[in-house]
Amino acid sequence: MRYLLLSALLLSASPAMAHKIIAEVFPAGSAVEGEIGFSNGDMAAGFEVKVFDIHGNQIGDALTDDDGFFTWVPEETPPAGPLKFIADLGAGHVAEMILDAEDVPGASPATVTPGAVEITLDSTAAAPADLSAVSDIVAAAVRNELRPIRRELVQIRERNRFSTILGGIGLIFGLFGAFFYFSARRQLKDAEK
Amino acid sequence: MHIVDGALATPVLIAGAAATAGGLAIGLRQLTTERIPTAGVLSAGFFVASLIHVPIGISSVHLIMNGIAGLILGWAAFPALFVGLLLQAVTFGFGGITVLGVNAVNIALPAVLAGIACRSFIRKGGRNNVLIWGGICGALAIALTTIMVSVSLALSGEEFNEAAYLVFVSHIPVMVIEGALTAAAAWLIMQVKPELFGLSQMKDV
Repeated sequence: MRYLLLSALLLSASPAMAHKIIAEVFPAGSAVEGEIGFSNGDMAAGFEVKVFDIHGNQIGDALTDDDGFFTWVPEETPPAGPLKFIADLGAGHVAEMILDAEDVPGASPATVTPGAVEITLDSTAAAPADLSAVSDIVAAAVRNELRPIRRELVQIRERNRFSTILGGIGLIFGLFGAFFYFSARRQLKDAEK
Repeated sequence: MHIVDGALATPVLIAGAAATAGGLAIGLRQLTTERIPTAGVLSAGFFVASLIHVPIGISSVHLIMNGIAGLILGWAAFPALFVGLLLQAVTFGFGGITVLGVNAVNIALPAVLAGIACRSFIRKGGRNNVLIWGGICGALAIALTTIMVSVSLALSGEEFNEAAYLVFVSHIPVMVIEGALTAAAAWLIMQVKPELFGLSQMKDV
């Protein structure tokens, strides 16, 4: 019986631990950027991130830097469908990130956006090659500036979720508590008669 | 498992709401004062269980834990699960308000049926007996729920076989996990608090 209890505990505990990891991937032009950290604000530095396609084949890997940041450039166009990024952080912590099919570089309509910018600039200036370099630099700069904001957003979302769960549990107990109160009062009144 | 707003045809929604109203009426009558705290705890457990995700390939499914509620509460599981579903819809956007009736029937009715069916066997006691029927109850509740979800989708025009196959297969791991959890829980309850199964007062459903 003790074993059963233990296994029940383990089963229910291991997915809950995953909440401590905060991991995100997002498209960045022809590459995919991602970030892995823990909900206390520490970032996961120097971990290997493996990239899998929808069929479970590994199609690449990347390494996180000191800020838990990684960039993955696909060597060839990845197969259609979502991609899965997995990093084993040790001690039972596994970070899993899913990149939606439409965000995968190569297959994505999102890569059209820089091109559109390029065309509008084309009409005012002469050198399209230079401009595409400029738009790349601008895109990289914007990504860098947005990085801390994105990190904070993820943290806030995680914290919010936790308080919502606690709030929900509190509501349920309160609701049943009130119901219990009225039910008990009715029973006591019936007993008095 | 939670069908979202806008996926079902109106007649299905109305039928689901009506069935839920009926289930709630029976359930509230069964919910005696002594059982209200138990129902509250199970309702909160159900609310949280659906946040525990089990990864399967590239997607994931979540625990439901309706079998154990049905096992302990019988018809009174209906209001308990309904409250949990309502809060899930409001706080996390699982399901939705218009489909609440359908979702409540899909999750609570299998819980009640599996719970009542397996309860009489569990009451006989015996370690293997309790473990086996507890496991069956947990898995059966999920299996019935997947079938009811498929029927709801089929009645709204989706191809039944395909929908049923997808929902059922993706929930096989959930059935296994919940079967094990329900078996463990049933065995624990038999050891420390058999009156939860109505063994001391035999207040039958």
